[in-house]
Amino acid sequence: MRVSQTSVALDFEEHTLDNGLRVVLQPDSSAPLVAVQVMYHVGSKNERPGRTGFAHLFEHLLFQGSENVPREGHFRFIQDAGGTLNGTTWFDRTNYFETVPANELDLALWLESDRMGFFKPGITQEKLDNQREVVKNERRQSYENRPYGLALETVFAEAYDEGHPYRHPTIGYMADIDAAALEDVHDFFDLHYGPNNAVLVLAGDFETGAALERVKAWFGDIPPRPVPPRPVVPAPPCRGERRAEIADNVQAPRVYLMFHSPSCNDPGFETVDTLACLLADGDSSRLQRALVYEQQVAADVDAFTWPTENAGMCFVVATARLGVSPDRLEGALRDVIDEVRTDGVGAGELQGALNRVRYALVSGLASFGSRADALAHAAVLRGDPRYVNDALGRYAAVSRDAVHGMARTVLDPRRLTALHVVPEAGKS
Amino acid sequence: MTPDRAARTPSRAAATPDPRVATPDRTVRPPAGVARPLDLPTFEGGRLANGLRYEFARRPGIPEVSLRLIMECGAGAEPAAHAGVAALAARLLVSGTPGRDAMDVARRLDRLGAVHAASAGYSVGAVAMECLSEVFDEALDFLADTTLRSDFPESEVVRLRDERLDEIKRRRDEPAAVADLALIGELYGEGLYGRPVAGTEETVSQLARETVCAFHEARYRPGGALLVICGDVSSERIGPAVEARFEGWTGRCGRVEPPPTPEAPGGGVILIDRPGSPQSEVRVGTVGVPFGTDDHYAIIVANAILGGLFHSRINLNLREDKGWTYGARSDFRFRRGAGPFVARTAVETAVTGPAFEEILKEIDMLSRELVSKDELQLVRNALTLSLPRQFETAPHVCAKRSRQRIFGLPEDYWEEYTARIVSVTPEQIRATCRKYLGPDRLTLLAVGDAEKAAPALGKLGAVDIRPLGEV
Repeated sequence: MRVSQTSVALDFEEHTLDNGLRVVLQPDSSAPLVAVQVMYHVGSKNERPGRTGFAHLFEHLLFQGSENVPREGHFRFIQDAGGTLNGTTWFDRTNYFETVPANELDLALWLESDRMGFFKPGITQEKLDNQREVVKNERRQSYENRPYGLALETVFAEAYDEGHPYRHPTIGYMADIDAAALEDVHDFFDLHYGPNNAVLVLAGDFETGAALERVKAWFGDIPPRPVPPRPVVPAPPCRGERRAEIADNVQAPRVYLMFHSPSCNDPGFETVDTLACLLADGDSSRLQRALVYEQQVAADVDAFTWPTENAGMCFVVATARLGVSPDRLEGALRDVIDEVRTDGVGAGELQGALNRVRYALVSGLASFGSRADALAHAAVLRGDPRYVNDALGRYAAVSRDAVHGMARTVLDPRRLTALHVVPEAGKS
Repeated sequence: MTPDRAARTPSRAAATPDPRVATPDRTVRPPAGVARPLDLPTFEGGRLANGLRYEFARRPGIPEVSLRLIMECGAGAEPAAHAGVAALAARLLVSGTPGRDAMDVARRLDRLGAVHAASAGYSVGAVAMECLSEVFDEALDFLADTTLRSDFPESEVVRLRDERLDEIKRRRDEPAAVADLALIGELYGEGLYGRPVAGTEETVSQLARETVCAFHEARYRPGGALLVICGDVSSERIGPAVEARFEGWTGRCGRVEPPPTPEAPGGGVILIDRPGSPQSEVRVGTVGVPFGTDDHYAIIVANAILGGLFHSRINLNLREDKGWTYGARSDFRFRRGAGPFVARTAVETAVTGPAFEEILKEIDMLSRELVSKDELQLVRNALTLSLPRQFETAPHVCAKRSRQRIFGLPEDYWEEYTARIVSVTPEQIRATCRKYLGPDRLTLLAVGDAEKAAPALGKLGAVDIRPLGEV
């Protein structure tokens, strides 16, 4: 990999099989490993009403075997090979990935292709019921029984109107997880899991010609299917502030500010991402300095954008020091935001933010797994894996004026959804 | 010996077809090709006149560098009355240097685009930095300035101490943290491993600037310290670069010796009441072992069978068979002293009791029955064929090397690892389980809704229900 001030040169090839499966091959022999990722262009935004959480539950089922892979085969075989594996579901996409010793490439391709082509014969009601319970326990562990765990889903529900595909959380609601039926599983697979709705990425120690032959051998016979309809996602609304408050089993209040912002495909995405970095990444950033260091009203503060495919989200989140009210905390956050909107940003702080982004982009390509992940995201959500090489240049071109303009546009109270998480009575 | 040759059954390797011509047979696991031999990173290094040792491994490819400065400044070096000073001192390293305040220091780091994290463990403290190769010199300057010349302004000591006090209080909000803390308190009592490195409300509230300065003065010394560097920098630059920043640093301090190993308590169940919890955080724990015992490798293999992997017994049982949890795991925390063994899971409240019973059943079975050849082979492979992955990036390599040095593992630890793991027998696994995980040595603890969880716990012995506020 070569890196200059404005670009990363990661050599890769792109191919499309006859069945529409897009393939990205990124050879690198620096370690005797290969990372394999299959990303499907389906996520929680594709769920139908009453079936929230289904895309994620479905992801769990794809680890339960297929026609030729026994139940628990994915974990058993990959661990037996010394590899690691997982899958994740998000609003816009679902991915399955493993990193294995390079001599086990066929194993990974077998497992992924059996999933894609031969899943349905392996699924049973018993497997569905088992993973339904696992997922309900995931919801309890990671959301319901975790401090502030229900905050984000409350923000989504407040920020988006009924019917918006980002209105519900990826984990889904309990009643909907309970309602999922075997028929839903078959329908979802048929609709979304065709080869022409997926990207396969290989990064690591292989020779591209030989690897492409293996990919064709394993995936080439899987028939294509009609490409599913993409949900219609309305442009970010700008129609006035929305507010909510929930009580939680915590001692310190936390404030969430979410601004509707450019999606990952908008030319302004890198600008708003840089703005978020400048606001709260690093102890000298605007919000850290004002809220944690000077005023000492926050225990922590964070700002981040999500590279969602359609409607974008820019979050500013702060946890109060004990004894500080959420109103005071929000006031302090908004003072800093107003200052940036009014006065703009300095050259030094912008350069610092860009240097931090630069470190994150480059170090984010260090492991084969994260590299495959970056290529898959670019290919699926942005339609082009070359974004991975171009990103550095797009960030380097972000100017002070652009950041100032973005702050004025995006950090507008009319785009804001504010949530206060407050201690339950008697807890503060 | 390569992991491939050591750990694979001969039949699989022999059956490898030419992958280019084969039409894949979907009905069986495809055979593995021939593995490249394991190529572990090679470290070279030196020692300055003041005693600071440094070690470097070059990692070309990605233009990044990873650094760890390890010093004998962990919690084991604090007087008990000042518990938490090691962690606070580490956090305060970026609070200011002569003529520069905390914001100056922060601005300098943030402009570099580097990552700096200082922390204390039970024995050592470490300052870690990650940066792009192009700012390696500036990062090393920053590391040296903040570690050697911090002057701990009073206002920053007070601010960060008070932040820490908030954090200590807020641990009560996190059921998993409550369970972990209560368990170590139960296992180690007043001993070092019985409390978190961060300290307690009582001790942290008493920490003053003089205490922090005295600790830094005594423990942040080159004699006994080690700087590990890995990344894309030419090796000729390392010696002079380290010398230039650290040669003026003086003094030494002794190694932090491990605390004594207490008798493992056992019997009954502790239930910490957190009304309204939808799940119980479940722990089965005991006093484990330090790094480097004679049965070190048998313990690693035994734990991998019990709960060290996804495909381990307690996870397959509680998650993939019963659906009671999102996951169940176990581990032995090897330290300079005997760290804990903990099996952990979070389960729906109604099955709190049955979850304990299943974990105990799995431990009991491993203590009675010999593991099968297949299960043993899977675990051997998982532990040894994963080595290339464990050394994939510069931060991985740096962290691994640091651990090797902190815990005094032999120079050839990783070279010998595969052969040692493969040599562990089913009898040794059973013996290990009997020795360390006997039922009278196990402490059972849960954090959850006592009213709903307690009735099903009766079978396990006396239930000691405690209010959350006491943790």
